[in-house]
Amino acid sequence: IFFKCGEKTSPISVILVTSGSRGNKLLFRYPFQRVADCTSSLTTKQRSPYALNTTGDVLEDPDGDSRFSDIILATILATKSDMCGKKFELKIDNVRFVGHPTLLQHPHTIQANADPSVISCMHNLSRRIAIALQHEERRCQYLTREAKLMLAMQDEVTNMTESDPQSPFRQILPKCKLARDLKEAYDSLCTTGVVRLHINNWLEVSFCLPHKIHRVGGNHVPPEALERSLKAIRPYHALLLLDSEKALLAQLPLDCSPALVRLIKTCSAVKNLQQLAQDADLNLLQIFQIAAHLVYWGKAIIVYPLCENNVYMLSPHANISLYSPLAEGFGQQFPSHDLPSMLAKFSLPLSLSEFRNPLDASVQEAQLIQMVVWMLQRRLLIQLHTYVCLLVPPSEEEPGLLRDEELPLVARVGGRSLSTPSALSFGSPTSSDDMTLTSPSMDNSSAELLPGGDSPLNRRMTETLLASLTEHERQVILNIPAAQSPEDLRMFARLLHYFRGHHHLEEIMYNENMRRSQLKTLFDKFRSVLVVTNHEDPVISLFQSPLG
Amino acid sequence: MGMSRIECIFFSEFHPTLGPKITYQVPEEYISRELFDTVQNKLITVYVHLDNYIISLLMDQTAMEKKLIGCPVCIEHKKYSRNALLFNLGLVCDARTKTCALELIVKKLSGYLTTLELESGFISNEESKQKLLPIMSTLLEELNATGACTLPIDESNTINLKLIEQRRDPLIVQEYDVPVFTQCKDHFIKSQWDLTTQQILAYIDGFRHIQKISAEADVELNLVRIAVQNLLYYGVVTLVSIFQYSNVYCTTPKVQSLIDDRSIQAECLSYVTKQGQKRACLRDVFQLYCGLTPGTTVRDLCSRYSQQVQRVDERRLIQYGLMKALIRRLQKYPVKVTRDERSRPPRLYTGCHSYDEICCKTGMSYKELDERLENDPNIIVCWK
Repeated sequence: IFFKCGEKTSPISVILVTSGSRGNKLLFRYPFQRVADCTSSLTTKQRSPYALNTTGDVLEDPDGDSRFSDIILATILATKSDMCGKKFELKIDNVRFVGHPTLLQHPHTIQANADPSVISCMHNLSRRIAIALQHEERRCQYLTREAKLMLAMQDEVTNMTESDPQSPFRQILPKCKLARDLKEAYDSLCTTGVVRLHINNWLEVSFCLPHKIHRVGGNHVPPEALERSLKAIRPYHALLLLDSEKALLAQLPLDCSPALVRLIKTCSAVKNLQQLAQDADLNLLQIFQIAAHLVYWGKAIIVYPLCENNVYMLSPHANISLYSPLAEGFGQQFPSHDLPSMLAKFSLPLSLSEFRNPLDASVQEAQLIQMVVWMLQRRLLIQLHTYVCLLVPPSEEEPGLLRDEELPLVARVGGRSLSTPSALSFGSPTSSDDMTLTSPSMDNSSAELLPGGDSPLNRRMTETLLASLTEHERQVILNIPAAQSPEDLRMFARLLHYFRGHHHLEEIMYNENMRRSQLKTLFDKFRSVLVVTNHEDPVISLFQSPLG
Repeated sequence: MGMSRIECIFFSEFHPTLGPKITYQVPEEYISRELFDTVQNKLITVYVHLDNYIISLLMDQTAMEKKLIGCPVCIEHKKYSRNALLFNLGLVCDARTKTCALELIVKKLSGYLTTLELESGFISNEESKQKLLPIMSTLLEELNATGACTLPIDESNTINLKLIEQRRDPLIVQEYDVPVFTQCKDHFIKSQWDLTTQQILAYIDGFRHIQKISAEADVELNLVRIAVQNLLYYGVVTLVSIFQYSNVYCTTPKVQSLIDDRSIQAECLSYVTKQGQKRACLRDVFQLYCGLTPGTTVRDLCSRYSQQVQRVDERRLIQYGLMKALIRRLQKYPVKVTRDERSRPPRLYTGCHSYDEICCKTGMSYKELDERLENDPNIIVCWK
């Protein structure tokens, strides 16, 4: 099955070609050739199939498809058996044919400028359909039967009057299930990017083109970026479903895993993945895998669990037009409220607690939360987090020069933390380190430090932690009034490796089992060496980009 | 030039008695006999159908994926045995290579050979055909080394080839966009560019927007737009937004690169330091960027961080931050929310047009627009 792509992510057409003892044959293609081209291909048939096209007369056709009659395509795309089982890709001028010849032949055609990842996705789809067809062929000669049907229909049409420009493929469509499946695959790829077929009404082939589902302001998100983000999901993140629970469950295939069903039923925007694991009685690894799967298919996004202190702001990609379908949908969902007014409220960063009016009845409050969820699902809001960076004022001796010692901590230490084991949990969510995270308090270095007191052990630990700093930095820090308190200094030293601007407040809170107020107080005490800023979390900001 | 490395150049033809074969290839034996058998129908037997199309074929050779790019030629004439001469000069490269530039080369080569054959029977004459081999060797060497090749074939024909990099289509340039040079302006060679570009060059200072450039340089707006779009395409300029002290910005996650990346640090600090001052220190500059938050204007920033801003040119600070996406501008979008059915639907106050755009289009100043909208209870403003 060949898919031919038009614009960058949609196929131009899908073609089914077979090569056998009786020669090469193009069985089916969709969309059908246009009428004008049908006549030209008919006339060429009258001469010899191998006659040259008079290049002068051929119309400029951006699709390129109609330049190649069926017979030519069949010859071009037919492959010998030793090319089977491998990726097939043939580009002719600006048209690309992509497929996966099996014992059957299934090329896809894609326009030349398509992203290589789109092409490999097309290969993937080709292959899957081919595998399903191969299976059905072995079981009940499905393909042979369908092929016979297609050939018979083609013969029938050619035997009709020559002047009839009806494409044979149009006749095939209502009679032949495989043709309908191919048409559906093509249509789905062009629109939603999600394909679900039942070959021979039996074997399911599902496929999604992430390029259609995940887009950032008009450009598709490359699957590698998507995969990187998925790998960076943490146990403290939450899964936000994009459809209602009911709708989602209805879309699942009959033989889907019960774990998936359980997850969907127990999922909630206020629950983090770790809690979800406990509630759904699954281990964390499973949760991550299922969550990644749902996100990949565009059925859910990763957010930080909803809570009072979350701060949200209008996304730069948000469509705030008065006439957008979003505005209409919002009005239907929440009558007597309009979307632009709600969005205006988030023009300045707003926390959930500020958004809710404590004087209103609790019913009103619940609706406000629903609105926030609604807006998050449609990527209208981004969440802001606080990031902190250690930057000590430069010494007076050589101001303005960028000596090695002036390089901030991260450049010198090279990313490795000297202190807490919680640093190990910054790996991929599927690493075994994270799998042992059952509760944050267990993965907490404070257990190592003896509570209270200025014991020699504690002092030594603090010294070690501060060892990665330069002499100048150490001096400045030790001169801060707050550093005179051993407890404060110890806390500061322990958290030092977070102060590189890559870990937000909530992550520190989770990893170190600390309260927000504790951290904020610490930041305030050491503000002369810390710089604080707020922005979105780059890890999940990918999921906060708009659709379509 | 690592992008489009050519691994092999081959010349294949349909021999009247021997059938399809590879007559010459450099380096020798690159394409094995078995491999050629597999792909030959694509390259040779379907010449008649694929005549003059650029063909690119993916193949598996010794477990590494390669691409074969060719442009078959079919010249029909009674003088040839079988009444046609079929040949294909192609190249092989790694499958991951971007092939657009190579395809053009192949097409051009096929054109050259066709011309040579039609003029002097270059290919059909066994003696002159032998010259192909050294030609192919030179092509391979020079194209890989420098990306270009100039090779005289005979008195009247010279092959001129150059690998041209494909670039992404640039964004549309709006009249309220501000072009700013990405490199030092002194490196810019005026004479290489068209007249319009040369005319507006002096007015591109990273602060004038397109409309202003057009007015001051006395060049029609659309011409300015196109010229800047061209500069954008070649990466000579990038676009930022109009600067005003009343502007509001906020940081992006990329602001951390100022801490992580030494080269950005160095570049930034030298860019933003006030002329004639000692170099600003990283902490001050970083604090200034982090001081940009929703609700804070540049004016507010300067008064709040008056000490840090002493050695820093705040306009260049903002400019650099925008160019490197360390910060982003928060634009105001007015939206008319009214229940009144009788009033006209809003044209500009729909949430799709920013203050920048409205002011540019209507000639109002920000202040005037603000005053007008503040008094209208039906209009709300979103920032994003």
